[in-house]
Amino acid sequence: MRHRIFRVVVAWVFVFFAQIAFNQEAQTGGQEGAQQQVTYRNMTPEQRAAATRAFLGLGAEPDKAAAARGAPLFEQTCAFCHGPQGRGATGSSLLTSDVVLGDDHGEHLVPFLKKGLQEKGMPAFATMSDEELMDISEFVHLQVEEVANRGTYHVLNILVGNSSLGQEYVAAHCMSCHTAKTFVHIGSKFRLPEQLQRGWIWPARPVSSGNSLLAYTASVKMPDGGEISGRVTQVSDFRITLVDQAGKAKVIERKPGVEVRLNDPLAAHQQMIMTLTNADMHNVTAYLDTLK
Amino acid sequence: MRLLTGVCAAIATAALAAATFAVPHVSPGVFLDPNEIGKAPITSWPTFNGDYSGERYSTLTQIKPANVNRLAQQWVFKISGVGAQRGAPVPTIKCTPLLVDGVLYITIPNHVWALDARTGSQLWHYGWVDHGGHLVGQRGVGIWKTTVYFLTPDNWLVALNANTGKELWRKNYADARKQYFSTSAPLVVKNHVIVGVGGDAMDMPGFLDSFDPVTGDLQWTWWSTPRKGDAALSTWPNEPASDHGGGMTWMPGTYDPELNLLYWPTGNTNPVFAGQGRPGANLWTEAVVALDPETGKLKWYFQVSPHDTHDFDNTTAPILFDRVVDGKPQKLLAQAARNGFFVTLDRVTGKDLVVKPYVPLDWSSGLSPQGEPIPIPDKDPTVGGSINIVNASNWPAPAYNPKTGLVYVNSVEGKAIYYLTDDSAQPAGYGGTGDGIGHAQRVLQAIDPLTGNAVWTHAYPNLNNAPSTVGPSILTTASNLLITGDDQKNVIIYSADKGQVLWHHEIGANESGGVITYKLDGKQYIVFGAGDSLYAWSLPQ
Repeated sequence: MRHRIFRVVVAWVFVFFAQIAFNQEAQTGGQEGAQQQVTYRNMTPEQRAAATRAFLGLGAEPDKAAAARGAPLFEQTCAFCHGPQGRGATGSSLLTSDVVLGDDHGEHLVPFLKKGLQEKGMPAFATMSDEELMDISEFVHLQVEEVANRGTYHVLNILVGNSSLGQEYVAAHCMSCHTAKTFVHIGSKFRLPEQLQRGWIWPARPVSSGNSLLAYTASVKMPDGGEISGRVTQVSDFRITLVDQAGKAKVIERKPGVEVRLNDPLAAHQQMIMTLTNADMHNVTAYLDTLK
Repeated sequence: MRLLTGVCAAIATAALAAATFAVPHVSPGVFLDPNEIGKAPITSWPTFNGDYSGERYSTLTQIKPANVNRLAQQWVFKISGVGAQRGAPVPTIKCTPLLVDGVLYITIPNHVWALDARTGSQLWHYGWVDHGGHLVGQRGVGIWKTTVYFLTPDNWLVALNANTGKELWRKNYADARKQYFSTSAPLVVKNHVIVGVGGDAMDMPGFLDSFDPVTGDLQWTWWSTPRKGDAALSTWPNEPASDHGGGMTWMPGTYDPELNLLYWPTGNTNPVFAGQGRPGANLWTEAVVALDPETGKLKWYFQVSPHDTHDFDNTTAPILFDRVVDGKPQKLLAQAARNGFFVTLDRVTGKDLVVKPYVPLDWSSGLSPQGEPIPIPDKDPTVGGSINIVNASNWPAPAYNPKTGLVYVNSVEGKAIYYLTDDSAQPAGYGGTGDGIGHAQRVLQAIDPLTGNAVWTHAYPNLNNAPSTVGPSILTTASNLLITGDDQKNVIIYSADKGQVLWHHEIGANESGGVITYKLDGKQYIVFGAGDSLYAWSLPQ
């Protein structure tokens, strides 16, 4: 059975974004993990940044056009002491500066820059125009934004593995269930390498109906000896809901005498996840990425 | 203000001037003697954990295995008129309710309600309009005599008259513009109102403040990371790294009145996932610290996650209990830490008795001479991705039952790929991200704190992953009940000794705050928040 798992690759690529939102609670961010990331995955980068900004209660949004104008000015006048991204060099980091964080759009920073901070050796920028100082202020705010707003983060180039070692891993570990057909063009079925990495390790299960090969199935033995089996839609300690072969939804209370046998077609992948090394993960991703 | 709905803004604005009354308050009124707080909670639940121990254990036995199937809902208080809050489409009660003199106090971010515990009807409501801060949760209030203390998302300590909801004073203790935000319940110890803070979006230092309960004057501050001249600075590359090293104090600590020591869990290190700019153990983040409540001075620490790079955020409650070990009575502290290790310490000295994984994990190569887990560098987040565990526990309350001698925790077994998104020499903020992979399974565990081994476990069947943000809290009783819930809206009562399911009931949402119990008019109640509603259960007459 298992060799057919990857035949549905195309189907699950289509539902990838919507799907992930329900399947995975990403484990990152803040006091309680990243509840926002769960639904944020199907957003554009701009939407994600805006939603994270609102969720975290961050301050005013930086003016990106002004920040772009401010970038070369910052480079010329500020970077020498404060570093190219304002993270500190001989001068202090601006990202955690009281003056910067207390400012929205230059209302405090512009007059501050005009005066400088003589006691710390910071010169006055009295000859620069208000507009220029405003643009520098927005550039600094954008540096803060790109740190504080984790909705703006993006994964870097993750293709760091050795593809021939990855090919060896696939040959040694995957072919007892899969055939070469599974992997044909797999590298072109994902938009981004991190989606490929995620996708081969833990293929998304289709949300909608249909007899997906990746869906959980169960056979339920009833107290009267009868048996009901089908695709499971949910299970708890007290109830199992499933769709039988005829496409009929069944709700079964797990009373004494009811025996449930669950089958997860991805069980082998779950086992793999518990022991997969980083090197094997990187190598296989690098290999599969070549299969375009 | 623009973020609130019209109705809510109106309520909140009105409430700032004077709390809104629904019915006049019953006399003689609420009064809590601070000396009563540490005692076993029977007719009250006067502090976050019921008492100072964090055991969340009740000596009440009216509700017992033989009659749990007769439990009946007495009333439900549903929050209305608040609407969506930033990050929460519907209000979610994540507090542990307090009960004093027949009045229940509950919270969500920006809101406090006093309810008549006999009927669940509102006595007063207090609303706050925040100017920034993260509205992710609110754990409840603290009470001293006739004053209720409440923390706002933008870091104001607000003192309210417990009987009227009228504001007495307010005090700002952290800057929301630096991404500090508050969700905690203040801990009242004698004449100290102890306040922790959250916020790791920017690289700020955590701290604990103690305030005078009458005047709101600051008594002391303890910083989670060392300042100039402190020997612990050697665990940081330099002073600025320590000054911006995180270690938030966003969950209430526990307290031993005999030793007069506070035990506080400290949160994750900053930058969160990118550790390359802060080589070293990074004290006192990711630790349990013992502090003098009179001065805030550190007595000892045990760092559960030295040099954390996985947001292991060590904020799960440190539970205090006494046991005889090798024939000698010992004062112990146990924590089912978010990094997957179960830790039992001598709470007089901080010396470790047990440090052992309670979920499958492979990020540690062993223990240091101090008994602290040594992280494996290959498990750090990398550009290409690094697989490690998801948080094994979180803020929802664990429990200890002195009759069974077991610690109970709703744990999570699962993995995530952690990516380093900021590979510069000077990373900042989170600097990385984690992406859950595979199935994350919630498992209720009953752990023997003297061995670290689970005596029984219960894996909750569920096709969905255990949510990382909300999980059921736990309460146990002297009648061998363990009250908790699953992630499918079931309140579940188990036998504490064996883990047998005795009773369950499906309600409107997952249990989302602390479960409490108390006796009122001779009747034992079980009260808990689930989603936007507070439920009260007891046996019918």
